[in-house]
This record gives sequence, C-alpha cells and structure tokens, in this order.
Amino acid sequence: MIAIIGYYNTRFGELWEKSFFDLTKETAGGVLKNNGIDLERVGAIFFANMLAGVLENNLHSAAKIAEILKVNIPIFRVEAACASGGVAFHLAKNYIEAGMTDTAMVIGVEKMTDYSPEEITTALAAASSGKEQEAGLTFPGLYGLIAQYYLNKYGYTEENLAYVAVKNHYHGSLNEKAHFQKAITIDDVLKSPYVAYPLKVLDSSPISDGGSAIILTKDKNLIKKAKYKVEILSSHVATDSISLTDRKTLDEIYASKIAANKAFKEAGIKRNEINIVELHDCFSIAEILAMEDLGFWKKGEGGARIKELSTMYGRGSDLVVNTSGGLKAAGHPVGATGIKQLGEIFLQLTRQATNRQVKNAKYGLAHNVGGSGGTAVVSILGV
Amino acid sequence: MISPVKIWRRQEEIRKILGYEGKVISWTKIFVSGLDFKKFVPYFVVLVELKNKTKVVGQLVDFNGNKLKIGEKVVAVLRKVKDVKEEDIIPYSVKFKLLKE
Repeated sequence: MIAIIGYYNTRFGELWEKSFFDLTKETAGGVLKNNGIDLERVGAIFFANMLAGVLENNLHSAAKIAEILKVNIPIFRVEAACASGGVAFHLAKNYIEAGMTDTAMVIGVEKMTDYSPEEITTALAAASSGKEQEAGLTFPGLYGLIAQYYLNKYGYTEENLAYVAVKNHYHGSLNEKAHFQKAITIDDVLKSPYVAYPLKVLDSSPISDGGSAIILTKDKNLIKKAKYKVEILSSHVATDSISLTDRKTLDEIYASKIAANKAFKEAGIKRNEINIVELHDCFSIAEILAMEDLGFWKKGEGGARIKELSTMYGRGSDLVVNTSGGLKAAGHPVGATGIKQLGEIFLQLTRQATNRQVKNAKYGLAHNVGGSGGTAVVSILGV
Repeated sequence: MISPVKIWRRQEEIRKILGYEGKVISWTKIFVSGLDFKKFVPYFVVLVELKNKTKVVGQLVDFNGNKLKIGEKVVAVLRKVKDVKEEDIIPYSVKFKLLKE
C-alpha cells in the first residue's frame, strides 16, 4: 500500500511579495512541518513546474531545491504543461513501487503574475503545436474552438457553460486559500468580456501564483504514525495528439477517457462509488467535457446536467465536483494545480475540509489535463 | 529574428495547402493574444476541414462580420503571419477567406 500522509498548499493568487523560490521554500517546508514529517525520511523529490524555464530563465530547479532544503537526494523536474503536477505524482508513485525509495515528496510551484497577459499567453502557448501558435491560437482560443463545436453540436448556449463558473466560485468562497473567494451569478459570467469567443473572462481560470505539496510513502511505520492518511488506489496517464486538428473529434478529451478507464479498472471501484472529484476546469467547457469523458455523464448531456447544479456542495448529492473551487476559483498556478487537486481529495477523505466538508466521502478522483488534451492523468484515492 | 532556414522548412509544408477549399468545423475570435499578435486583436481563427479531409487551423482574413456559421466554405490563401523588424525575413503562412458562392 502506498499512502498520502501529508499535504500543504500556499494561498493561490497574486502573491507579489513572494518569488518562485520563496514559494518553493514555503511549500516544501510547509508539507514537512504541518504533518510532522522529518526531511530525512524523504528519499526523492518530484518537482512539477511548467514555466520557470520559459519566463524566468530558471532551469535545473532540482539543484536549487537541493540548495533550499540542504539535501543530496534525487530530485526530478517534471513538465507536462498543466498536467505537470498529476504526472509528477504518477511518477513518484511508480518510483516508490519500483523500490527506489519508501517515501517521496511531490511538489508543484508556479510564479505567473510577474508578467503581462500577453507574455503569459505566449508562454502557455508553448504547450500547443507550432501550427496552432502560427495561427495566433491561445489556450483560451483552443478551448474556444472546442466550446464552439460542442455548443453547436448539442444545441447549448453560453449560459450552459456559465453554470460551471457559478458552482466553482461558490466553492472558492468556502476555501480560504482560493485565488477568488467570492460567489458570482450567471449574469456576472454572461456580462464579463470575451477572452476567446465563446469563452469569457469568468469562463476562464486565472493567472495565479502558488505552490502545493504532498508526501507519499509505503513505509508502514510512517503510515501507522500518520494522523491523516489516504490510500492511492490507482493513477494512470494517457496522451493524445498535441494538435486539435489531429484529434478524432473536438467534443471529447480522448486521453481523459483512456486514463479514467484504466484508473477505475485498477482501483476496482465503480463510477457511482466516487464521492469527490477534483477535475480540470481550466475553462468552463472543460468541466462539462471532463464529466462526460470520465464517465459520470453521457456524451452530450453535460450542458444540460450542469444546469441542475447537482455537483455543487450543499445539494445533498452523492458526487460533489471541485470543492476547492477548481482551477476556475481556487486558481491555476500551473505546476501546482495537479497536486492541489490530490490535496483537496486528501483533505476531504480525512475530514479536514472544514466548511466545505462532504459527509462520508470514501473515494475521490483527481483529473489533471495538459494542454488542450495532449496529456491526461486520472488518480483515485480511498479511505 | 526567425531563422531563414526555419521559414524555408515551413514554406515546404504551406505550399501543399494553398488554394485548397474546405468548410469551417469550428471558429473562435481571439480578444487576448500572445505578444506576436497583440496589434491584430480581435481576430478570427477557424478550424477547417479541407476537401481532402485534412484539418487545418488558420486566421480568417477579409471578414468584417461579428459571427461565422459552422459549415461555411473557405479557401486557403497566403498571408503574412506577423510584423518583423526591417531586415528580418517576413514569415508567411496559410490563412483563410470566405468562399463566395
């Protein structure tokens, strides 16, 4: 059994007083101190980050982390665009299973708000194909193409998309570490300016700074002594063409379907046993597609189902989605996101989610996507 | 400056698409761009299926409307990608124009 025995995340948001490495130091120190874990027990570190090389000319961050923590253990930087955190977790789990260490730290950090929207837009576009970049496509633009196709094919409108943002902002209002902690209305979403038609500012996750970290172990003594623990039941990664033009269809993220099917098979549980999902809502359309691709809703029904708000906290549903606020409201410091998703599941399953605690949650699923769907990671946790 | 060799390599691909007709499968209008396209916002980008079933993305040019219809017919044309410095090589690529019936 491999378990998560500790989690920490910084506040997500515009953290102007903190640098990239300030956040790294706070996050690594926080996960050890808050969970009473000795650094000497950590045999390897997996570090998720996408943009430091592009934006800050900061590569070889493994050695910088060694300097901060004063260690000489293996440290690996993992980059898979917005799925960097999920992939880092997946690799750390495999590293432990392979017998390379008993205990590993997975940490994700991103510093984004030192740069203009155009600089960040250009940097993020590095995760798209050259042809897409040449056409002037941005990430909101790529998801705008997906949204337009979906709305047209199934007869929905921008109002259907807006319900995702309303739900996740409500959840963000319950999370003291979320970038946005204010509830919004459908009208607010529909009146917000376009970023890439038909997606508006309030359909989109923000540019955020932040860090998150978890500790994984198979050390029986550490697991026994841990105050909080959840078991990792499965974790699977799948890939697909980086270009939208090379995908079979635009109304699904095929990599999510593959990863989810494998993760459920390995975990040995059914969809209706999952109580908590943290999924990749980088844009409102992405949550609707994810609910369909993960197998919770039928293809094409998502636009209608989201209007029921059955996956909102407090509705008495058996399945609550993105209690952290999701990428939309909790924020999206790219490398930290996938780890924060796992951390939110950890908090929920260990009854530490305070005012957003879902009752009797037993199984949770984290879904992390890179680019416009070129990489997807699905991990299932349980208690 | 973009390497002339890089531009030459890309031109080899672009010439295979020029003049092809196709239909719009999806489209978007970009309001916040990257650095290279800041002066052109807002602009349309279309995802087109050519008659040979190849899918291509490109900007829509010579279009003054606010909204497009999915299924509209377009043709691939050669256009400048972005502004460059005085002595740089200008990169060209495929963009699309609406095809008049």
